[in-house]
Amino acid sequence: MKKSNRNLTLFILPALLFYAIFTLAPAFGGIWYSFTNWNGLNPNYELIGFRNFEMLLKDKNFINSIWFTVKFVGIMVVLQNVIALGLAVLIETRLKTKTLFRTLVFMPNMISMIIGGFMWMFIFTRALPMIAKMLNMAALDISWIGDPTFSFIAIIIVSLWGGVGYLMIIYMAALQGVAKNLKEAAMIDGANAWQVFKNITIPSIMPAITIGVFVTLNNSFKVFDVVYSLTGGGPGRSTQVIAMNIFEEAYSLNNRFGYASAKSLILFIIILVITLIQLSIMRKREIH
Amino acid sequence: MKMKTWINIVILLILIAYSIFSLSPIILAVINSGKTQGEILTNILALPSNFQISNYVTAFEKIKFVRSFFNTLLVVVIGCGGIVFFSSIAGYKLARVKTKLSNFYYSLFVFSMLIPFHSIMISLVRIARVTSLQGSLVGLGIIYIGLGVPMAIFLYTGFIRSIPVELDEAARIDGCSDLRLFFSIIFPQLKPITVTIIITNALWMWNDFLLPLLMLPNSKNYTILLSTNMLFGQYGNNDWPAILSVLIMAMLPAVVFYMILQKSILKGISEGALKQ
Repeated sequence: MKKSNRNLTLFILPALLFYAIFTLAPAFGGIWYSFTNWNGLNPNYELIGFRNFEMLLKDKNFINSIWFTVKFVGIMVVLQNVIALGLAVLIETRLKTKTLFRTLVFMPNMISMIIGGFMWMFIFTRALPMIAKMLNMAALDISWIGDPTFSFIAIIIVSLWGGVGYLMIIYMAALQGVAKNLKEAAMIDGANAWQVFKNITIPSIMPAITIGVFVTLNNSFKVFDVVYSLTGGGPGRSTQVIAMNIFEEAYSLNNRFGYASAKSLILFIIILVITLIQLSIMRKREIH
Repeated sequence: MKMKTWINIVILLILIAYSIFSLSPIILAVINSGKTQGEILTNILALPSNFQISNYVTAFEKIKFVRSFFNTLLVVVIGCGGIVFFSSIAGYKLARVKTKLSNFYYSLFVFSMLIPFHSIMISLVRIARVTSLQGSLVGLGIIYIGLGVPMAIFLYTGFIRSIPVELDEAARIDGCSDLRLFFSIIFPQLKPITVTIIITNALWMWNDFLLPLLMLPNSKNYTILLSTNMLFGQYGNNDWPAILSVLIMAMLPAVVFYMILQKSILKGISEGALKQ
């Protein structure tokens, strides 16, 4: 027993070392700094208890960024999964063009959201206003990037553009695992397509839906790239997400590392609590 | 029968509409990257009268494409190499040894998969500075190893559990040492999961923006995304033909990679995700 444990540790050591230095240590470091007034420039800092967290409660920008992110996450969880599942179902009905559509829908997922955001900025600031004038459609001629509400919609559109393909692949794989004989039996008993989908397909792909929601929750709470490239958090701070607020606090405004660490600890706790709740609720619904 | 044809047409229309949405930024970027500044102002949807290759030549030089490309590649190769090597040997023992310690290690790795990058970002930059990894491409690759091993260990351990132990035992009777056993017998069997791990990690590192932004302050070391971002900042959003050619060029490697490896990429995603 002892020898096998020693061997185990030897084999794990290299991975553990990298992991300890670059993931575990900074994770604990982050918790530690949350309770200090370290400001990055000054090498001396001291423990200040919960003062950072008290400040957070009154930090309007931070609280706004939490609300904005929560709104974003809520919309993304619903839209991204519904659209991805819908497309997966529709593409699965194709025989000859299945691969083609799958390729096209997934394509944006390969492109960094930094590049995607810049390309969409061209569409929102140049192409759409021009198309609106050509077609005389006032509805399109809006200041997409200059108005808080439309900026939010723009961020949603671009995030969906980049993220739907990934989930669609997961749903397509899950749909292929749905038992055909179950569906056929239901059809023979006179069930229509919608009933089959609701009562047979959905319950069978529940594990995939759990994963889809989990992935969307996790990624959307951490969203950064698309906001950075598309709106930069603006106009003003109206589209500032949590990750961006932390980044700004630590690197572009005042280097208050201790305070920014406290914010990042809050982000971690939010993600942890929400994903744990989501997993425990959704796992119960799966058929085992 | 008629109803069925109608449904068919509607489905097809929806799929075509979504595909256009999916491709429109890329198509518009390609069309307009070949225009002159004046042309872009008159009609965005029209094809360029004379495709300005010179825009691309300028873009190629401006983002120092060759240098940025190899900078990014170096990071990806170091990161992927380290992740595959260290995670596979760790996963092997985690799958085979069944002790409390082994369970502890496994949970330690898996637990961290929930920690968001932004929560470790600030301390990580400090550690990188203290260890003088900041400002070095090799350093960035090394940091990616530390961030990437948990997920890879999770996937390797699961995969190795499905390989029969009898194989190990037979080799051990022949007097094979643990390490040799792993490299000559186990590792070759891990090919499918190794391909998945390399692809997902390569894509992550290739398209990652925030960590390189924090780690590489010197423009000599810029990755493709950092060069693109810097150029975008310089041009503001005025010289669109120039910006768009840069964007097309910056996304080209990933798109080519996708075209060549599409099957493995899609397989890797669905398998990787459904295993969780």
